[in-house]
Amino acid sequence: MLVLSLLGSGWGWLRAEAALRQQLDLVIAGEAEGFLRDYEEFGLRGLAATVDAYARRRGPLLVVLLAPDGRAVAGRFPGGQGGAQPGLRGFAVMPAIAERPALRVLGARLAGGATLMVAADLTPVDRAASALAWTPPIAGGAAAVVALLLGFAAAARMERRLAAASDAAREVIGGDLTRRLPLSGRNDEFDRLTETFNALLGRIEALMVAQRQVTDDIAHDLRSPLSRLRQALEGALARPREAADDNEMLERALAELDAVLASFAALLRIARAESGVLQQGFVPVDLSALVADCAEIMGPVAEESGRALHPDIAPGLSLPGDAALLRQAVVNLLDNAVLHGGRHIMLRLLPGPVIEVEDDGPGVPVDQRAAVMRRFGRLDRSRATPGTGLGLALVAAAAQAHGGKLSLEDGAGLLVRLRLG
Amino acid sequence: MRILLIEDDATTAAYVAKGLREEGHVVDHAANGRDGLFLALGEPFDVIVTDRMLPGPDGLSIIRALRLANITTPILVLTALGEVEKRVEGLEAGADDYLAKPFAFAELRARIRALARRPAGPSAEQSVLTMGELRMDLLGRVVTRGARKIELLPTEWRLLEYLMRHPGQVITRTMLLEKVWDFSFDPTTNVVDVHVSRLRRKLDLPGEAPMLRTVRGAGYALGVP
Repeated sequence: MLVLSLLGSGWGWLRAEAALRQQLDLVIAGEAEGFLRDYEEFGLRGLAATVDAYARRRGPLLVVLLAPDGRAVAGRFPGGQGGAQPGLRGFAVMPAIAERPALRVLGARLAGGATLMVAADLTPVDRAASALAWTPPIAGGAAAVVALLLGFAAAARMERRLAAASDAAREVIGGDLTRRLPLSGRNDEFDRLTETFNALLGRIEALMVAQRQVTDDIAHDLRSPLSRLRQALEGALARPREAADDNEMLERALAELDAVLASFAALLRIARAESGVLQQGFVPVDLSALVADCAEIMGPVAEESGRALHPDIAPGLSLPGDAALLRQAVVNLLDNAVLHGGRHIMLRLLPGPVIEVEDDGPGVPVDQRAAVMRRFGRLDRSRATPGTGLGLALVAAAAQAHGGKLSLEDGAGLLVRLRLG
Repeated sequence: MRILLIEDDATTAAYVAKGLREEGHVVDHAANGRDGLFLALGEPFDVIVTDRMLPGPDGLSIIRALRLANITTPILVLTALGEVEKRVEGLEAGADDYLAKPFAFAELRARIRALARRPAGPSAEQSVLTMGELRMDLLGRVVTRGARKIELLPTEWRLLEYLMRHPGQVITRTMLLEKVWDFSFDPTTNVVDVHVSRLRRKLDLPGEAPMLRTVRGAGYALGVP
């Protein structure tokens, strides 16, 4: 039994080490592919520059470019290239020498006999593998028996869980994006991995839904202006006409086309905000300054249209965010108030942070509030007012991107509340 | 001017090149990144217009390579619609301006002029800008036209400073939105017109020769009357 246990643990160790090495090989191959792409694009000299830059930056891997005679042209291994075979192809292990640990190395032959070598330090892998190897033999025979039985049970259980996960993943690949991997409820490492994986699936689903939404919107709402444009051009072509008519018609067509393009740009921007990719570029934004700036720019616009903008901005508020998107959100809200509101517009920035725009216009009926926050959602009475019907949808997307929420409420007229974070 | 156009889409390239040649510019066209980079490294140009997505090295790689080689030629990047955040990336790589496709030719023309004349215009450090009898003291925060003092709001100040740094050039609405107010979008309300007309009312009193002109279908230009 003890022998069996040792054999079992030895087998497990081999598996673990093999898995670790495989991981390492994947990382090495990935980097090497990047270098080879540079080589294809910029030639040997370009590659040499990239290799040197990489070596100077001290990336996680080691890289060297060898001339046919074995001399290093760019980059280097610590302690020298000793043992590096020019012309090496594929994976190999370079044993440790003074000052240099054992390396796992991938070689690629380039035209003209040069060799690119990408390598990783094997020490962490060896250390992890030996830690695994020495644990079981210390335990006594009884423990070994128990361990062995538990081991078999755990292996069988793990196999079942892996099979379930694999089935679920296959269904996702097959197109069922709502599918999630099952949790065992044990709250172990595997469950945590599953949760991460499910979160990933959630993101993918959200992205796909957003993309489908955009496609649908384009199909439905951009088709009518494009049809109008087409009819106008076709009609003009069919009629006998003067040069002056042409100019007027062409100018109208251009204006119509510009409106379509503006809608298109806004849709793409909304989709981007909804997709969640912006968060990676978030930087601290001085919200108080940003809102004050918008008030300063939009104040005169309100005035020219016979309205008054009253800003009330709490100082010192900031948040991690996308300044361009936030600026557009605030301006869209003020645009709406100027176009649809009454004589007074209140702009408030409150701790939270919360941005409020309140007007004393006719407001939006409760049952239509959700609709006007959607793409192309407009009240019937505003169809003649300029605008794409995408303004509030963008603000809603901006709110979502910043972990907040947009809501329409009763105020003097309409109160729009943009909660951020 | 001698302009290098790096653009792989034949239709766009033909349209842009034809327009620029009609304006009297000499246009060299490269249809991929490799040729573009080669030309840009080897020959002197006044302005480089490059697409962002190109076969071979892309627009940003070209810009980085040129800047590394200490070539300071102004560069305008063209990009697909709706990629605002790419704008920042392009400017960080060393581009001078950014324009989304599809664009009006007038927009491209105005931007190329603004880039090309940059070295001749007032330098960034200059603290007093003058144009005819108009004088803008950036440190003292005083604007005068002849003997008359002009009071400006901060937004009007920024607008006037930008126009004075580009004397006589046509500046489009989009340029003002982007460069004066940092708006990467076009508001539904007539923000630009409101501020320009307010500035004009302060700048050009009745009886004075107008300095701030509207250029129909293109934008605005500030110049000596």
